[in-house]
Amino acid sequence: MGNSVSRALGKLFGSREMKILMLGLDNAGKTTILYKLKLNKIKTSAPTVGFNVETVAYKNVKFNMWDVGGQERLRPLWRHYFPATTALIFVIDSHDKDRLDEAKEELYSIISEKEMENVVLLVWANKQDLKGALKPQEVSSYLQLGENLKNQLWCVVGSNALTGQGLVEGLSWISSNTHKK
Amino acid sequence: MGIEQLRLSVKLGGASGDGGGERISGQRVGQPRKSPSAPSFHDKMYASRNTSEPVLPNHVPALNSSNSADNASLNDADASLSVINLYGDEVESRRADDGALQSPEEVLSDDPGLSSTPFGQRSSNSATDGPDLDRYGFKKQNNFITEKEYNRWWRDYSQYCVRRKHKWKLLLEKSGFPIDNDSPYRFPPRSEKLKRYVRKGIPAEWRGNAWWHFARGQEKLNKNKGVYDTLLSKMDELIRKKKVVADLDIIERDLNRTFPDNMHFQREAFQTEEPPMIKSLRRVLVAFSLYNPKIGYCQSMNFLAGLLLLFMDEERTFWMLVIITSKYLPGVHNVNLEGVNVDQGVLMLCVKEYLPEFWRFIVPFQNQTGSDSSPNSSPSLGKNEFLYKLPPITLCTASWFMSCFVGVLPVESTLRVWDCLFYEESNFLFKACLAILKLSEQELIKARSLKLLRHHSISDGGDYNKREIQLNQDETEMEIFQVIQTFPKRMLNPNDMFDKVIFKKRIPLNRLDQDEVDRCRKYVAAQRLKYKNYHELIGTSNRTNESGLNGSIINSGDRDDTKHSGLGSEENADAAAFDFNDDRTASDFVNNALSSEVYGFKRGLSGVHWNNSIKEKVRQMRKRKVSSNDQLMKN
Repeated sequence: MGNSVSRALGKLFGSREMKILMLGLDNAGKTTILYKLKLNKIKTSAPTVGFNVETVAYKNVKFNMWDVGGQERLRPLWRHYFPATTALIFVIDSHDKDRLDEAKEELYSIISEKEMENVVLLVWANKQDLKGALKPQEVSSYLQLGENLKNQLWCVVGSNALTGQGLVEGLSWISSNTHKK
Repeated sequence: MGIEQLRLSVKLGGASGDGGGERISGQRVGQPRKSPSAPSFHDKMYASRNTSEPVLPNHVPALNSSNSADNASLNDADASLSVINLYGDEVESRRADDGALQSPEEVLSDDPGLSSTPFGQRSSNSATDGPDLDRYGFKKQNNFITEKEYNRWWRDYSQYCVRRKHKWKLLLEKSGFPIDNDSPYRFPPRSEKLKRYVRKGIPAEWRGNAWWHFARGQEKLNKNKGVYDTLLSKMDELIRKKKVVADLDIIERDLNRTFPDNMHFQREAFQTEEPPMIKSLRRVLVAFSLYNPKIGYCQSMNFLAGLLLLFMDEERTFWMLVIITSKYLPGVHNVNLEGVNVDQGVLMLCVKEYLPEFWRFIVPFQNQTGSDSSPNSSPSLGKNEFLYKLPPITLCTASWFMSCFVGVLPVESTLRVWDCLFYEESNFLFKACLAILKLSEQELIKARSLKLLRHHSISDGGDYNKREIQLNQDETEMEIFQVIQTFPKRMLNPNDMFDKVIFKKRIPLNRLDQDEVDRCRKYVAAQRLKYKNYHELIGTSNRTNESGLNGSIINSGDRDDTKHSGLGSEENADAAAFDFNDDRTASDFVNNALSSEVYGFKRGLSGVHWNNSIKEKVRQMRKRKVSSNDQLMKN
């Protein structure tokens, strides 16, 4: 009973649930971000083999976040996880300039999948705390999302998983840009 | 902490050395406190090795020349060294060890390699574990287990370990195998009794040797003498010439992320040099990628090698990695991941056979893997479709196989699985998976009833459209995943798996022997291949089907070969005669064609009874033979 009441109230005030896929190259900081959001703790994280999934509540939105292991050869394992995704978060190590090309390539190969047609795309330009890290604007212009993305809404936010900077901004951007759908 | 601790560990260390096999006098410090019948509970055994320079494992550093006579004995067994602090979590033991440290003899036996590091001070009280570390150097506390929970469990479990070790000692003594300085390297021949002993846990300080023995590491090494050294020099040469070492970058990125919560792998802020463990890990992984380019480096191998390094030296670790990736987990780490997909298919078959209740949690969602399948296609799902379109849960279980439960289960439980894996072979991995799933069932039922409650509350309101169903399926999926992800991480007590599932007769897991697993693997591999071939034949361009196949087998190399071997000509004709306009029809057809072959598990008498009755028969036959021989002799 109580459950259905809270559910109804939730509906009234726009409580929602969404499936979010968090991807990115290995060592970009996906797992650290996830546990910072979930537990507000910095967990020195090991490479993710497989995935982590956690529910993060923010305001009245429940984000079901899937953090999927990064190494290239493990990617086919989660390919069939694309359906029913509301938003895609792509995490970039802004400090690792040598791998920006690889990251860009990966991002475009994911976003061009048929199942990704209608997602909103958030890019976290992570590791902003490191000296010499590219600014979100630089990452954004490097990725050339404006020129290339016709269907998807997108946004690049600078983030620092250690302090949590940029994380809430990112999630609230997702929540406000999926509202209309 | 850190390097000082390692240095201390050299002093206190039991077995040591770069695979060479010299013994440091620290052994003697430990021994008087250890009576053979009741192992010292607070015994502290550290060992480390001089890995700060690229010493090849066969070199024996001129380290113990100043040591007394008992160092002279070189034996194989010492090549396995342990870095583990065995039973000592308690303050008293640390004090005792610190006291022992002060003896001048100990200082003499210090390792020259390590003392040349910038942090040269010897006696340091900081060179002990914090009480927050377990006996292998891992932090007791993590996101899933509090330190209090850990300590409460360890209080009883450590007693259990002492009792088991005592039994092991008796067993070895009875069978006439020496227990050399608490480091036996020969074990009794295989038997039901030994299997039971292994299942109840090999003493931690014997693990390196025991694994090496059961996995037949020495045989492998004997056939490949010098190979590891050659690989290392090849690696050095490649790096010196600045040639591209494939996978080196990927390995490098994972090195410092391997066991960040273990003191042996951790770099302290003040340290300039990386821990010796990390160097060893790098050498093992790079050497492996050179040795087997077909596998190269796959994430999760860092955990396998890392855990092995806590129990044995580099060269042995390397060969164990070779053995694990070929014998126990064939193809699992290959580039195309087909091995791991086959094992997931086998696991799903096993769940269906042995845990039918659990299977019901998996089944309703199996057709979600392909985005095109609508709910009403589920009744027509072929009996075998889950072998190609693996259920989502296998995303989770795949990582259990790849990392052999490292990071999935708490370390003590992981080690127990490894004990059994090396003794019983890969069938045990499936048993362990089934045990974990079985144990998590209660949690799942809780999660499911919660979901059902919500489900009802919505349908009562009449607002029950398709989107809601979709949402609810996602929700349940989330709950299942969260249970499956979290539950094993809280399985502190390794005995739960055995006492509550594996030893229970109600679930006849004994039947699932290596023959069965091998047969099952062959069957699943063949089915997946046929499925793939049918699809190619049909020429379906539907990408969703491919994604259901995990995309990987489509890319596997020997395409033409397999097409001929996998398909009979009749089947070819069948397929050609059928007009496929609709992908769904095509996949139904494929499915119907394939599911006519259903895998049959061994059933009937339970393994135990069967074994006993056979044993009895053999005994009688022998008796008869002996008596008839006697009669012949008399005649």
